[in-house]
Amino acid sequence: MGETNEPRRTERLPEWLVEGLLRLGESAIALIVGLAIGAIIMYVTGYDAWLAYKSLFGNSFLDSYGFTITLSYAAPIMLTGITFAVGVRAGLFNIGAEGQLYMGALGAVIVGWLAWRIGILDSVLGVLVAYTFGVLLAITWAYIAAILKVKRGVHEVVSTIMLNWIAFWIVEYFRVYLIYNPSDPSKTISMPPHARLPLLVPDTELSAALIVAIAFTLYTYYLLWYTVTGYELRASGLNPLAARYAGIKPEKAMITSFIVGGIASGLAGAGEVLGRPPHYAITTGLSNLYGLGFDGITVALIGANHPVGIIFSAILVGALKAGSRYMQIAAGVPLEMVRVVEGIIIVALAVPGTLRMVREYLRRRRELAELEKR
Amino acid sequence: MRDIVKIYPDGTIALRGVSLDIYPGEVLGLLGENGAGKTTLMKILSGFLRPTRGYIVLRGRRVVFRSAADALSHGIGMVHQHLALVPVFTGFENIVLGLRAKGDLRKLVEELMEETGLRVRLDVPVEQLSFGERQRIEILRMLLRRVDVLILDEPTTNLTPLETRVLFNALRKLRDSGKSIIFITHKLREVMEIADRIVVMRRGKVVGELPREKAEPRLLARLMVGREVFLRIEKPPSTPGKPVLKVIDLWVRSDIGGWAVRGVSFEVRAGEIFGIAGVEGNGQAELVQAITGLRRAEKGKVIFGDKDITNMSPSELYRLGIAHIPEDRQTMGLVLDMSVSENSILGMHRWRKFLGALGSLRWREINRHAERIIKEYDVVAPSIRSPVRYLSGGNQQKLLAGRELSKNPRLIVAAQPTRGLDVAATEYIRKLLVDLRTKGHAVLLVSADTDEVLQLSDRVAVMYNGRFTAITRPEELTEEKLGLLMGGMEAGTLGRD
Repeated sequence: MGETNEPRRTERLPEWLVEGLLRLGESAIALIVGLAIGAIIMYVTGYDAWLAYKSLFGNSFLDSYGFTITLSYAAPIMLTGITFAVGVRAGLFNIGAEGQLYMGALGAVIVGWLAWRIGILDSVLGVLVAYTFGVLLAITWAYIAAILKVKRGVHEVVSTIMLNWIAFWIVEYFRVYLIYNPSDPSKTISMPPHARLPLLVPDTELSAALIVAIAFTLYTYYLLWYTVTGYELRASGLNPLAARYAGIKPEKAMITSFIVGGIASGLAGAGEVLGRPPHYAITTGLSNLYGLGFDGITVALIGANHPVGIIFSAILVGALKAGSRYMQIAAGVPLEMVRVVEGIIIVALAVPGTLRMVREYLRRRRELAELEKR
Repeated sequence: MRDIVKIYPDGTIALRGVSLDIYPGEVLGLLGENGAGKTTLMKILSGFLRPTRGYIVLRGRRVVFRSAADALSHGIGMVHQHLALVPVFTGFENIVLGLRAKGDLRKLVEELMEETGLRVRLDVPVEQLSFGERQRIEILRMLLRRVDVLILDEPTTNLTPLETRVLFNALRKLRDSGKSIIFITHKLREVMEIADRIVVMRRGKVVGELPREKAEPRLLARLMVGREVFLRIEKPPSTPGKPVLKVIDLWVRSDIGGWAVRGVSFEVRAGEIFGIAGVEGNGQAELVQAITGLRRAEKGKVIFGDKDITNMSPSELYRLGIAHIPEDRQTMGLVLDMSVSENSILGMHRWRKFLGALGSLRWREINRHAERIIKEYDVVAPSIRSPVRYLSGGNQQKLLAGRELSKNPRLIVAAQPTRGLDVAATEYIRKLLVDLRTKGHAVLLVSADTDEVLQLSDRVAVMYNGRFTAITRPEELTEEKLGLLMGGMEAGTLGRD
C-alpha cells in the first residue's frame, strides 16, 4: 500500500492558499461571464459596452478620487457582509443586517443630538459613545431575532425581515418627529463637527469608517478560527448533532452569531452617520442607508463567507456602486440599464458561492435523511 | 426477482445475488438481522433503488422500475418504517394526495376502511394522530392505488399490541382477497403468526425458505443468526475489578414519545467488555444516549464510580472520564468539514491545555495532539489540515477512537464501532477495545453485529423491546438461544448474572 503513518506534507502549496486561489479563479471567471452577458445586453440594446465598462472601472479603480469612493462604499457593506457570513457559519440565514444597520445609525444620531446639547460629547469621545450606542441598539435588534429563534423556533428569515421594517419605521419616526434637523427637516440632525470620523483623504467621502470596518472584519476572522467561541460556532453550524455530542449548545452558538452580526451591522450604520460627508446624518426615507444591509448578502456570497474574501468582494461591489453612475454619464447608458448590468455582474459573481451553499444545504439534508432511514 | 445484486456507491455490498418469488394471495415473511439486506431488496422491488445487477419479472414480463411511482403504477407499493406523510394535512388529504379526482374519493376511502377494518380519523391533521393511525393511512394510500403487492417494513415496531392485532387482521383480509403481502421483520413470533411462507436472509443472501408449517422458532433463529466467523481476535484473560458503571432501572423515552428503554439495570466492571446485542431499534441507541448525556433519563440512575451522573451534560461526563464512540461517526462523532486537527479536540476543546488567554485556541498544542493521534492510531490522512470528509471510513473511525481514548477514560461506550468498516479497520478497532479492557478499562459495547458482541464481550446482554431478555456469558449463548432472545422469545431457562 505504501502509505506511511506520517501525514504527507510535501512540497505542495499549503491548502489554504490553493483553496484561496481556487476561489479567486472562480470569482474571476464569474466576473468575466457577468461582464460578457452585460456587454451582450448593452450591445443588443444599442449601447457602447466597451465605453461603458471603461468608464465603470476607469472611474472606480483607476481614478484616485473614484477609488476613494469605491472604498468608502466598501466599508459598510463589508460589515453587513460579515453579519451574513457569521450567520451562515453558525448555520443561520440572518438577513437582518439591514434593520440592525438602521438601528446602528439611529443610535449614532441620537448621540449626535445629545452632543449638540452636551458640549463634552462634541469630540472624539462623542464618536466613541455614538459607535457604542449604535452598536448596542443593533445588538438589541439582533438579539430579538436570536431569542425568537432559540426560544420559540421562529425562523430567522421571517423574524429579521419583519424586524427590518420595524426598524425602518422607527428610524423614520425619529427622523420626522424627534431628531430632525431644524434647518432642513428632510434629514436628521447632523453629528456636530468634532464628533465626526476623520477623513482619510481630504475632500473625499473616505473616512476612518473604512479602518473600523477592516479591523472588525479581521477580528471576526480571528474570532472564528482562533478562539474556542468561534470553534463552537463553526462546529454548530456545520453539524449541530456533533456539536451537541461534544457538549456544545448550538443555541448558544446561534445567539453568539447574532450578536457578532449585530455588532458588525451596528458599526456599519453608525459609521455611515459618523463618517459620510456631507450630511453626517440620516436622510429622508433612509435613502443614504437603504440597501446597505442587503448588499452585505451579496458581498458575503461573493466572498465565500470568509472574512478575507469579504474584504475583497466588498471593494468589488463598492466599485460597481461607485462606477455605475459614470456609465450613465460617459457612455450614455440609461440608469435602468446600468442597474441591469450591475445586477447581472453581481448575480454572476454570487453564483459560485450560492451554488456552494445550496449544495451544502442539500448535502446536509441528504445526510440527515440517511440518518433517519437507519 | 432474479439474481439481484446491490452495491452501494460507497462500496458496501448489500445484496449478493438474491432471487425471490412472490405469489398472489400469500403473506411472505422476510426475516433477518440488521444489514441482512431485507430492506434493500424491498426497496429495489418497490422502485426506490435500482439493482446493480439482476432483474425483476412481473407477471411474465421483465420490468425495470425507474422510480417508486413507476413501481406503484405496476401495482407494487411499500410502507416504510419511517412514514412519509404531510403532517399538517388531514388523514383524508394524505390518502388521496397526488390522485386525480375520479368519482367520489371520499366514498371510496370509506368503503376501503370498511372492507379492511383499517379505520382512521379522516379529518384530523396527521400530526395529531397516533403512529398506528398514520401507518394505516399509508396502507390505505397504497390500497387506494390498487396495489397487488404490499410491502411493509418492520410495521409493528411502534405499534401497541392492540394495533398490531388490527393490522394483522387487515393483512389477512387483504391476503384472502388475492393480494401479496411482504412483511419485513426480525420478530420471530410475528412471522410465525402472520406469514404463510418465510424467507430468511443473512448478509445479503437468502439462507432459507420454508412454509410456515415447517418453520419453527428455533430453526428460524439458527438461520437468522448463523455464525460465520471470519475474524478471530486474541482475547487474553482478564480479571474484572470493581464496577465502574452502574445503571439502575433506567427508563428512557424514544423520539416519538413512547418508552424506548423500559427499566434496564446492569453494571460494567473495570477490565471487562460488557456487550449489548440485539436487533437495532430495540432501545440500544436511546440507552447509550441516556448514559452519555445526550438524552434525558426519565427514571432510574446512572452511577459512575460512586458518583451519580444521571442526566449530566456530555462535557461534564468527558471530564469525569467517560469516552463515547457514537453509533454514527459521520453525523455525530465528527464534523466532516472541519480539519483533522479541529476534530481531534471535539468535545475536549475547552480543556485547559488547548486554551490560551481570553479563550483563544492554542493551535500548536492542538496540532501536536492531532499528530499524536494520527501516529498512535495509524490514521492515514493527507494532512492534519485537511477536512475529515476526505478520510476513508476506517481512518475516520480510527481518528474518532483515538480522540476518545486520548481523554484517558475509565469507561468507553462504543456503539456500532465497526459498522461499515473494511476488514482491516474492523480488526483494528476490535483489537483496540480488547486491549483497553485487558489494561483495566471498562468497555460498554453496543452492536447489532452479533458476531462482534459474542466475540469481544466478557458478558452479554440481549436487548429486545426496551428490556434485557438475558444477561449471560457469551459461551452460554448458542446461535439458537441468541436468535430466540433477539427475536423476542423468552428463553426461560437462561440464568441471570
